Amino acid sequence: MTLRSTAALKGLVAALLADDGTTAWTRSVPRRVETLLDTMPAPARTAVRGAAAAVDAYAVVRTGRRLSALGPAERERVVASLASRRALLPLLEAVKVPLLLAAGTERSLHHSPTPEAPAPDDPPLDCTPSREWPTRSSADAVVVGSGAGGAMAARTLARAGLRVVVLEEGEHHTTASFGRRAPLDRFTDLYRDGGATIALGTPPLVLPVGRAVGGTTLVNSGTCYRTPAHVRTRWLDRHGFAAAEDLEAHLDDVERTLRVAPQPLEVLGDNGLLALSGAKELGWTAAPLRRNAPGCKGSCQCVVGCPTGAKQSVQLSVLPEACAAGARIVTGAHVRRILVDGDRPGGPRAAGVVVRRPDGSELEILSPLVVVAAGALHTPPLLRRSGLGGHPRLGRNLSVHPATSVAGRFSRHVTSWKGVLQSVGVEHLREDGILIEATAAPPGMSSFVLPGVGRELRRELEETEHLATLGAMIADRPSGRVLGQNRTLLRYDLAPCDADRLLRAQRAMGRLLFAAGAEEVLTGVPQAPRARTPAQLEAVLDTVTARHLHVSAFHPTGTAAGGADPERSPADPDGRLRGVHGVLIGDGSVLPSCPEVNPQLSIMAAALAVAERYTAGTS
Amino acid sequence: MTSRGTVFKETMLGRVRMADEDGDRPVRLDLLARADAVLLPHRTTAAQLTGRIRIAGRADDAEAVGELEISPLARRRIHYRIAFTMEGRRLTLDGWKSVSPRRPLTSMTVLPYTLYEDGHRVGEGTLRFPLTTGLLPFLASFRFPRAAESRADRHLASRWDGAPGRTEVWYTTVTDPVTDSGIWLHHEVVAPSDGSPAYAHGWAAVFPKDGPAEHARFGPVPWAGHPEGFSAGDISAGSGRLAGSAGSFTWALTERGEGPPLHTFPGWSWRRPWLPASHMLPAVRARYSGTVRHGTDELRLDGAPGAGARIYGHGNARRWAWLHADLGGGDVLEIVAAVSMRRGLDRLQPLVFLRLYRNGRTWPRRAERSAVGWAGIGRFRADIGLPEWRVKGRAGLSRIAVTVTQPPEQTLTLDYTDPDGSAAVCRNTERADAVVTLERWWGTWRREAGWRLSGTAHAEVGDR
Repeated sequence: MTLRSTAALKGLVAALLADDGTTAWTRSVPRRVETLLDTMPAPARTAVRGAAAAVDAYAVVRTGRRLSALGPAERERVVASLASRRALLPLLEAVKVPLLLAAGTERSLHHSPTPEAPAPDDPPLDCTPSREWPTRSSADAVVVGSGAGGAMAARTLARAGLRVVVLEEGEHHTTASFGRRAPLDRFTDLYRDGGATIALGTPPLVLPVGRAVGGTTLVNSGTCYRTPAHVRTRWLDRHGFAAAEDLEAHLDDVERTLRVAPQPLEVLGDNGLLALSGAKELGWTAAPLRRNAPGCKGSCQCVVGCPTGAKQSVQLSVLPEACAAGARIVTGAHVRRILVDGDRPGGPRAAGVVVRRPDGSELEILSPLVVVAAGALHTPPLLRRSGLGGHPRLGRNLSVHPATSVAGRFSRHVTSWKGVLQSVGVEHLREDGILIEATAAPPGMSSFVLPGVGRELRRELEETEHLATLGAMIADRPSGRVLGQNRTLLRYDLAPCDADRLLRAQRAMGRLLFAAGAEEVLTGVPQAPRARTPAQLEAVLDTVTARHLHVSAFHPTGTAAGGADPERSPADPDGRLRGVHGVLIGDGSVLPSCPEVNPQLSIMAAALAVAERYTAGTS
Repeated sequence: MTSRGTVFKETMLGRVRMADEDGDRPVRLDLLARADAVLLPHRTTAAQLTGRIRIAGRADDAEAVGELEISPLARRRIHYRIAFTMEGRRLTLDGWKSVSPRRPLTSMTVLPYTLYEDGHRVGEGTLRFPLTTGLLPFLASFRFPRAAESRADRHLASRWDGAPGRTEVWYTTVTDPVTDSGIWLHHEVVAPSDGSPAYAHGWAAVFPKDGPAEHARFGPVPWAGHPEGFSAGDISAGSGRLAGSAGSFTWALTERGEGPPLHTFPGWSWRRPWLPASHMLPAVRARYSGTVRHGTDELRLDGAPGAGARIYGHGNARRWAWLHADLGGGDVLEIVAAVSMRRGLDRLQPLVFLRLYRNGRTWPRRAERSAVGWAGIGRFRADIGLPEWRVKGRAGLSRIAVTVTQPPEQTLTLDYTDPDGSAAVCRNTERADAVVTLERWWGTWRREAGWRLSGTAHAEVGDR
């Protein structure tokens, strides 16, 4: 990082936040942005720095001086001039995301520092850092990934008496460690690529995935929907995914393990209550969500690791049971490839894995069974670099549940980050594949991007306590693809019907907020940011296409789908990878199609079924 | 399938860190690896390890044993598992070299390993193959010895796959050294070319020292197949036993093979029946004990020398000669000289397949050498006739001359029937004389060895 680029970034932050030196918190934002950028992948980092340099150059051309040398008023004129050019809006929006993340964190730290709460002790886990794991070892089964699917597979196999080793690229974080650190510090540790995983396409979408012991379950909202009956029927009848046969029983098992229950109203928070009242006003079906967080205290920090230990992420629920049955977890272990013995009688057979430690050295574990549960985005590249990526459908069939969000401004304080992060589900449009969920987040971490730049943005920031946010995700066509071998490259082109549904969802959320009493609805679309009445909202959204939306996605599935048709499914109906013996797919990749609801339970039930079928087949 | 194995020695040096210690200790591993197959880099070869493992100050076990899986290309792994004793504890060293084309030298010489006791990890370390001092002794230690005697039984199972127009034979010839009599037991399955059911038949014959040969036929009976050899009615041949009765003959013999199998025709022709026929001996020599009764006479055998042989093919040759000569001292000469029935091939001179098993080695090394030479040049010649026939030829620096005499009064003439129904006549004796002369080129031909068999050679001449 050069001094010049640091100065450019500093100037940009000052300009976008209209930093006039009157508040203390704005001063520390540039440093926070720098830290955040350091965790991001090189392309994202370069893009943000490049944008900052471009804006700086624009300032030099316009005023003869760099942004950092300008006064507040001149800076405001420069960014206002930039923002008036509609073509440049997407660029500014992209730069705003990391900046708002840093600004939200700094502002909340200055206004209401999080009190350090005593955290409960976590159930014991048998975790070993990869640097302490022997260079050569063997096991009966290796599970790649400790997320929802990997944990479930590990528990099943360990209980069947196998010596199981779970390999996790991330580190182990305890509940106590969450309580000690600011949300943004945890954010950069718990997410892959600093949360900046981007799928290229129109529109590009942000697809953050977790990386730690517990995988994405550590940072998800805790919402637990059972796989809908029609989805299960589709998996069985259309795709021939036999592992879904006992899905109901497996879902029961998973729900018991995760202690799933409807969220009580007491800790729901105003964000959720407003969603409920809006839905009641409109006569829409809505209810507190079923969650795996008994005793949730409404810390609203699910996405950066629950600091109270209430959310039963798999490292608090499933993995301790797996370890009690003898499974061992190796952390900081990046699986380079699966070893395959090509000359075995009966065809190639998995023989183990090669793992890279953080210091670059490698270790190997021999095992006749490898369960790949690296997540739908990383399972296909792992199989490719192991020479197992020959199936033409591997990496295709990616569904992500594209999601968009809307905020409503209320006259009173909502303080959406006090309460349950994802609290209420509005199921009025569920039959059309649209699921609205009242979702708040710690300041800056919401996928909702505040409108405006300069003073306008600063005003919005200062008034975030008045905002309630809703999110909606749609059951999408499998329009994405995971490319790459050593690095994951995502491509996702929103299907036209899904684009229409996203806009419908946008309108529905706006109506809901107005019905709940919102004075103004913020659409999150830079070209058409605000509407003060329902009619105005309709008019504003008429000018918007899906390309203008900020789309994020959280639920990648289907990239190594299981099914009966060998031409269409890289894995067989029991979740075994075709073309090689001894490789099971035990994560969201194995789901044959979009589960249409938050997929944690579906993934865990599928992984349970795949592992049980393996143990039943070998015994 | 090659009958050779691989033996080599390997020494590795390195260090170990025991779980109950802070520092690490030097380790030395001296191993002897034995594999039952020739080590081929693109295959996976399993080997047995024996040797000595030394951990400075803690262990010195000269009786370490283990396994080695050598698969540098197919699995890219050379996996060592060695059990040894340290301070009264039984430990296992488990580790492998992970062969990488990007780092061929390092990955082929570095062996990271883990030590286990009852499945629990008690130490780990790394061993290295010392290239500078170890490579030459390592390479020089490679040997490819003949594998231990393979079981003859596997050659006794029936080869017939149900195809019409095939014939398969199990025959045994024995010389009784007590009475100087010869014995011939012939068991044959014929699958006629017209697709009619296969049938089994055969005969037993005795060639007394004085007087004419006697024989009795059995069968034909429908062939029902048998997994371990020939079996038709009360007559069986296989798994070290020969028993049955035909006419006035009754026999019950045990067979004990000595020496490796001997393929008279090229070995591949036995595995893949592309030639009109193939002939082989499950064991180059055999010893027979038991009784053979014919009429009122009885032969009691006790370790009588002879051999069993197998034929599988399309039928008999147009003209042929056969010799099995036990040269004594474990040496055997087997000859088949034949003219094929196939159009075109029937105009050629007899192809001679001569196999001299001497001092544990077979000469000529390849069976094709004596039959076709170098594209016909230098092939062995046969002059087939009766009562005397000759074979001679040269391969490498040795040449051989064989003269076989079949005494007419002790030669049995039998009719053969091919699968296509055509007939052949064979004249067989187990009391033939043979003179074998082996010479070697030392600037001039010098006699290297000679054998003169009187009434103990087994021979046959056939024609149509």
